[in-house]
Amino acid sequence: MLLAVLWLLLGWLDASYLYRLASMALVFGLLAASANLITGVAGMMTLGHAAFYGVGAYTSALLSSQYQFSPWLTLPLAGVTAALLGGLTAWLTRRLVNVHFAVATLGIGQAVYVTLLNWVDFTRGPMGITDIAPLSTASPAINLGLVMLVFLLCYLVLERTVHSYYGNALRALREDEQCVAAMGLDPAKLKIQVMVLGCFIAGLAGALWAYSTRYVSPGDFRFSESITILAMVVIGGLGSLPGAIMGALLLTLLPELLRSLGDYRMLVVGSIMFGFIMFLPKGLIGEYSALRVFRSHLKALEQS
Amino acid sequence: MSAASQYHKALIIAAFSSLSLSAFAAPVAIGYQAPLTGEYAQYGNQFRNAANLALDEYNQTHKAAPVVIKFADSKGDALEGVSIAHKFSDDNSIVGVIGDFSSTVSIAAGKVYAETHLAQLSQTASHPDFVKISPWQFRNIITEAFEGPYNARWISQNKIKKVAVISIQNDWGQTASKNFAKSFKDAGGEITALESFNPGTRDFRAILTKVARTHPDAIYLALMYEDGAALLQQKLQLGFNVPVYGSSSMYEKKLIQLAGPAAEGVKISTTFTASSKEPNVQAFVKAYEARYHVEPSMFAGQAYDATRIMLNAIAKAGGEKASREAVRNALAATKDFPGVTGNTTFDPVTREPAKNLSRLQIHNGDFTSVAN
Repeated sequence: MLLAVLWLLLGWLDASYLYRLASMALVFGLLAASANLITGVAGMMTLGHAAFYGVGAYTSALLSSQYQFSPWLTLPLAGVTAALLGGLTAWLTRRLVNVHFAVATLGIGQAVYVTLLNWVDFTRGPMGITDIAPLSTASPAINLGLVMLVFLLCYLVLERTVHSYYGNALRALREDEQCVAAMGLDPAKLKIQVMVLGCFIAGLAGALWAYSTRYVSPGDFRFSESITILAMVVIGGLGSLPGAIMGALLLTLLPELLRSLGDYRMLVVGSIMFGFIMFLPKGLIGEYSALRVFRSHLKALEQS
Repeated sequence: MSAASQYHKALIIAAFSSLSLSAFAAPVAIGYQAPLTGEYAQYGNQFRNAANLALDEYNQTHKAAPVVIKFADSKGDALEGVSIAHKFSDDNSIVGVIGDFSSTVSIAAGKVYAETHLAQLSQTASHPDFVKISPWQFRNIITEAFEGPYNARWISQNKIKKVAVISIQNDWGQTASKNFAKSFKDAGGEITALESFNPGTRDFRAILTKVARTHPDAIYLALMYEDGAALLQQKLQLGFNVPVYGSSSMYEKKLIQLAGPAAEGVKISTTFTASSKEPNVQAFVKAYEARYHVEPSMFAGQAYDATRIMLNAIAKAGGEKASREAVRNALAATKDFPGVTGNTTFDPVTREPAKNLSRLQIHNGDFTSVAN
């Protein structure tokens, strides 16, 4: 609904800069929402989310430029490749908790970045991939509409996952893994499932980024990107899906809105981030308030 | 659409993109995207200084139709570079764009300019694919396809047969080392080792020991000066004593300051030398030093010339009435433009620049011209 209004408004303004901001915000919205599922809801601190994002981007970029796959085929394939890597990571690290899991994902992030950079024959290394087809050859408005569509689908899937009994099991996993095992659930299985879903969406986001920018290079998937994504989740509210989207909106649009400040821009962005953490430690929309809204919806549905 | 609604639309776009309204009443503008903060800020700030110098000189002689430059900070990040490209494309006052610094960001932004039909002139992007994006891309730097063979000929003229190459692992470093190695082999030389290091490396001892074992007669370095300084110091500490030749990217006073005596004897070819006797170079160096209290580097020279080439194209394309297309065509017609980095001609088909190089050697803590 909100997206449709936004799309019409942007179509009326028809400025390529605004299309760009909107699609960038949506891509990072997906990244933050998927990182929120892994880190916020299931409590698995990930420091390597950019790796899965990068694998998705490179999968679609390579399939599109080298093998002329249709973009619509490469989108799910990008998700699947990233999900496979995510599932493998989770399976290998299924016994690791807390900071140990974080360091393992940090390692995966670095390994993927260094592979993209140095496997020159396959990824073209630091030269990047330049000849990526657009998502559709129609107008930029249609392209943005398609990005919005993918975003919406992913959001719905995440929304149903997080606000369900399954979501409760994930939150239990975050609070006490042994307790989850005692309830007859398999924590290792839950962890793998969460990583597969989260990384699938990160891979999709990567493909959308590749198609909207039409040039990918390893520099876009460095450690700093993982940290930015994590900051979006924390500022939005750990465990809160709408919060993650808000965090992504804030951290993608704020640096652009403050462009007129010149050299002091990033200083101000940093201070604002600091302020949010100091005064809103639970995030823009905390997990509890997000859950309360969804539960009241559920109650209203049951009563009607 | 009615004029009023058109106006409202413009207002909203202006508010969103935090542009000033004057952009619509518009003196002609150049968009300049460069890393003004972050890892590569030192380059971006040199570009800005040099561009402002060139702009003020231009506006003094063109008081009737002054040009403004709108700077935007890309942080050396492709993500930001693309956003800036869209922003510049939407800004009707901008008729030409200069930047970005790295090839990666320049290409990502170039994809946008190719679609929105806005001429882009990079002062530094030397990736072979950059000017191939579309007829709207230009560069004011000779590529490694030009510099590599030049240095290879220079080294073989000095009767050196075996060379080891050390380069930075990025798009530029790869092209630089490949181009050099190929032409050195073609000239009858032998490449004993072809090593590269990841950006951010500070310890070069492993690479240097590996290279030393292949017994080269000289080393060729394709890297930035800050890496070069660390590498030269570690080379001195290891007692690995062979002549060093470097790419033009190492031409920077800081190299000597950081490396100290380790930089002694290093040979570099470059398009710009602050100690050149050419009157236009001397005038530029004096004006730059008077305003910023530091000697201009090659990067400042590149940006100064790029800005002047762009301003010249705008003037030729009709000054305040210049259209984006006219500016592109005027840029493409640039021939023998007398700059501080040598006379520049853009090839009308490939849009690659041709320039002349001069040879330098570090001697007693300073760059001095040498014949061979």
